[in-house]
Amino acid sequence: MEKILLRNIDAPDSQTLEGYRACGGYRALEKVLREMTPEKLIDEVKASGLRGRGGAGFPTGMKWSFVPKDNPKPKYVVCNADESEPGTFKDRLLIEKDPHAIVEGTIIAAYAIRSHTSFIYIRGEMFYGAQVLQRALDEAAGAGYLGKNVLGSGYDIDLILHRGAGAYICGEETGLLSSLEGGKGWPKIKPPFPATHGLFGCPTVVNNVETLAALPWIITEGAARYAAIGTEKSKGTKLFCVSGHVKKPGVYEVDMGYPFKKFLEEDCGGMANGRKLKGVIPGGASMPVLRADELDGITMDYESFQAAGTLLGSGGVIVMDESTCMVRAAWNLSRFFAHESCGQCSPCREGCHWIEKILNRVEHGAGKPGDLEKILSVSGNIGGNTICPFGDAASWPPAAFIKKYRGEFDEHIAAGKCTIH
Amino acid sequence: MDPVKITIDGREIVTEKGKTVIQAAEDAGIDIPHYCYHPKLTIAGNCRMCLVEIEKMPKLQIACNTLATEGMAVKTQSPKVLEARRAVMEFLLINHPVDCPICDQAGECWLQDYYMEHDLAASRFEERKEHERKREIFGPYVVFDGERCIKCTRCVRFLQEVTRTDELTVVNRSDHATIALFPEKTLDNPLSVNVVDICPVGALTDRDFRFKVRVWYLKKTPSICPGCSTGCNISVETYQNRIARFKPRVNEAVNSHWLCDEGRYSFHGLTEGERLTSPMIRQEGGLVAVDWDTALRAVATGLAANAPAAAILSGRNTNEEAFLYSRLMKQFVSDGGLEVFYRERELTEVEKILKSPDRSPNFRGARHMGVGSEAGVEPLLKNIIDGKFRSAYVVGEDLASLSDLGDRLKSALGKLSFLVVQDTRMTPTAALAHVVLPSTNFAEKEGTYTNRRGRVQKLNPALVAPAGALQDWEIFARLLGESYDRPADIFAVLSRQLPAYAGLDYEKIGALGADLEAQHQ
Ligand SMILES: Cc1cc2nc3c(=O)[nH]c(=O)nc-3n(C[C@H](O)[C@H](O)[C@H](O)COP(=O)(O)O)c2cc1C
Ligand code: SF4
Ligand code: SF4
Ligand code: SF4
Ligand code: FES
Repeated sequence: MEKILLRNIDAPDSQTLEGYRACGGYRALEKVLREMTPEKLIDEVKASGLRGRGGAGFPTGMKWSFVPKDNPKPKYVVCNADESEPGTFKDRLLIEKDPHAIVEGTIIAAYAIRSHTSFIYIRGEMFYGAQVLQRALDEAAGAGYLGKNVLGSGYDIDLILHRGAGAYICGEETGLLSSLEGGKGWPKIKPPFPATHGLFGCPTVVNNVETLAALPWIITEGAARYAAIGTEKSKGTKLFCVSGHVKKPGVYEVDMGYPFKKFLEEDCGGMANGRKLKGVIPGGASMPVLRADELDGITMDYESFQAAGTLLGSGGVIVMDESTCMVRAAWNLSRFFAHESCGQCSPCREGCHWIEKILNRVEHGAGKPGDLEKILSVSGNIGGNTICPFGDAASWPPAAFIKKYRGEFDEHIAAGKCTIH
Repeated sequence: MDPVKITIDGREIVTEKGKTVIQAAEDAGIDIPHYCYHPKLTIAGNCRMCLVEIEKMPKLQIACNTLATEGMAVKTQSPKVLEARRAVMEFLLINHPVDCPICDQAGECWLQDYYMEHDLAASRFEERKEHERKREIFGPYVVFDGERCIKCTRCVRFLQEVTRTDELTVVNRSDHATIALFPEKTLDNPLSVNVVDICPVGALTDRDFRFKVRVWYLKKTPSICPGCSTGCNISVETYQNRIARFKPRVNEAVNSHWLCDEGRYSFHGLTEGERLTSPMIRQEGGLVAVDWDTALRAVATGLAANAPAAAILSGRNTNEEAFLYSRLMKQFVSDGGLEVFYRERELTEVEKILKSPDRSPNFRGARHMGVGSEAGVEPLLKNIIDGKFRSAYVVGEDLASLSDLGDRLKSALGKLSFLVVQDTRMTPTAALAHVVLPSTNFAEKEGTYTNRRGRVQKLNPALVAPAGALQDWEIFARLLGESYDRPADIFAVLSRQLPAYAGLDYEKIGALGADLEAQHQ
């Protein structure tokens, strides 16, 4: 498998401008500025089949093409580096090891929508990452890749690094924009959509770190080469961050369409401590869990995960072996969501903590008949009825855990205690 | 207007392009339940109470943020909608104390009302409720109960968008989200109590009103605020013949949904205190009670014998009263001797959103009726101080207590040969009078006010005047030797005589008033 996103990771000084240029860095930007109009660039990215790696998998070129050309307002690209979903740590690797790829990709995206000021919004806790990125930005500006008249092309672009204050919801694109505007990180109601009314009411594209970091390779190597990798609807490569009970957890770059079981057994070295696999959350904490027996035949791409009743999401693979208490796992996740709901809409604000409280009881021996039905009903009343997809993200996991490990939940309630530990 | 045809629950409705489903429904008399939506504030879309089903859309949509588009089919009563609504009610109540018996909002609480309409189920919540701050003082008139708050952000948006004073915000996440004052801020802007009106629940309550009376005992009389000449439309809410509170009445031509704090509480100063219940005449040793005939005869002879007179009518007297007073006093005054009380003061930017720079709600109408001139009351007050008059007839204004001229007026009025004071209470000015005539306050009157911008609006009596007092118009009519059954009869006469009022029909002024200009055209 060819490395696209991780191609520079092992090079010494990969995070410096010199190191990046030694690996061919900024050639894509030169090519774009010399040879491509924004329209042609958008077509090229469309042709690559690249889809957003932030979770929703929206086609990147198409997202850019929604930005109105004739709108006289400033336009913004925001690189979403807020990565805070439990089990997701792929962007951090790129930020710390290959920051210039992100900078170059963001400049390319900015050029595509004719933005002259753009932003990188980085999670507040990523202090080291912010330092690395800021250094990269300074180096890029010093080398003429940022600022006025980039590489003599006449194109001006400023790129500003903004640190968040530590809230998961600021990764949701409109929560991010509210925060970047200086407000509380509350997601905005849609319509209007960011493409027309985003940051400060201006046309805005929010793209994930991994999405943007893929752009330089796509430009230098050509969309066709990228599109040749992967499946019909999932092109190129994807980072998967594996955590949990495998021998070799870590960040992996995988061709889309790679067999999931093979990935876990071979690439990740199989289960640690010789225990049996119990379940996998394949796409970050907010995606429905899969039982071990559901993994057969699944390939690592958008279509296959969706057919299996879950989603590729961010690529955060959380592997759980037989020693895992699924009630406790569900409770743990629900605690995260109860803590991170932004508190704006009634169902999510009130419902997330309600679910957490019931799961807490069930895990700690005070479960009652009817509790599980209640959780399913409450989660059903949250999902789909809220301002932002957090409501879905928070309500799917507990429902999926209960449906897939119902017996274990029932045992907890019947026994009046945790039956695993 | 670009017409757009939609159906709501199968009913065809024609609305305009740019309207949302909730607005289109409201215009057609269909109520889509909602908390956070307020017609005068930006859309927040956070309560999720207004979720409706729209054909061809897989998910329920919020009616407050969905534009009506041609051919759209909306369902507000489908099983899916009813369940979502019930669920939202359940969510809003799980951490709510539901202590209605000790909550001042009970009886006009949207949670109570919608619970009865859309939920009516026992709560399935068996966990520990989250607790929040109780009884936090937000400002001089507003107190906050964090546990009753549903985080609809109406209050926050009002302070951001209408007053632009930004005292409140939302802090914390999840079910710990709550409304809070910004550090060092107090909710004390001149329109602050409007947040109480728009708060759909008992989270923000009126410190002046709360716990005085249960709202279902209130008698509500539509009327006009006596605070200034903006003429905000109000509901005068009374209990046992006392005013408990003012609430704004929506009138887009005047005050929209709002009321200023000063006007809202103006009834205290105007209605409280011991009332005069008998006319009085000064005799050796002080004022003594007499009957009305005696008192009115004394006024007539006293004024006739002591020309020239100064005549000052209150800015709170009605058009009907001013019309009679004008005709009465023209017999006794010379140029500049007859004025309606009208003084201006500086307003802050926030005050200017609603308030006028005076405390004379009907100064404009009084001038139309012939009481006073553009020169205003200031030269007249000066001439009184300078001793240019031998007599005066002062109605409803306590001149001796004015903060700037009070002392000098008091001494000048004290030197007059003949002073008539017509008022509701024994004011320092009345104490100087030779004849005191007990009359009524704005809340006891029927009649019309003409506001600063020329809109004629109706006052309705919310209180019964004390026995012994007469309506100002009755007093003037008797002094004129005329007789009317009710203010409407006086209005009929004045509208025949004054071209600007020609064609206005007392009965048709209605609850929202009528513009003079429009009638004039
Ligand atoms: C609750 C929530 C959290 C999210 N967090 C992130 C995040 O940390 N990083 C990210 O790139 N996208 C995140 N997303 C997705 C973004 O909203 C958005 O779809 C994405 O940044 C778009 O970039 P893409 O088109 O390149 O995928 C989150 C979404 C939700 C609903
Ligand atoms: S769904 Fe949850 S996180 Fe999203 S806006 Fe509503 S309350 Fe906030
Ligand atoms: S706010 Fe409404 S529901 Fe809550 S206690 Fe008060 S009256 Fe009852
Ligand atoms: S205090 Fe009242 S108006 Fe303000 S958010 Fe709470 S419920 Fe809404
Ligand atoms: S009224 Fe529409 S979401 Fe609150």
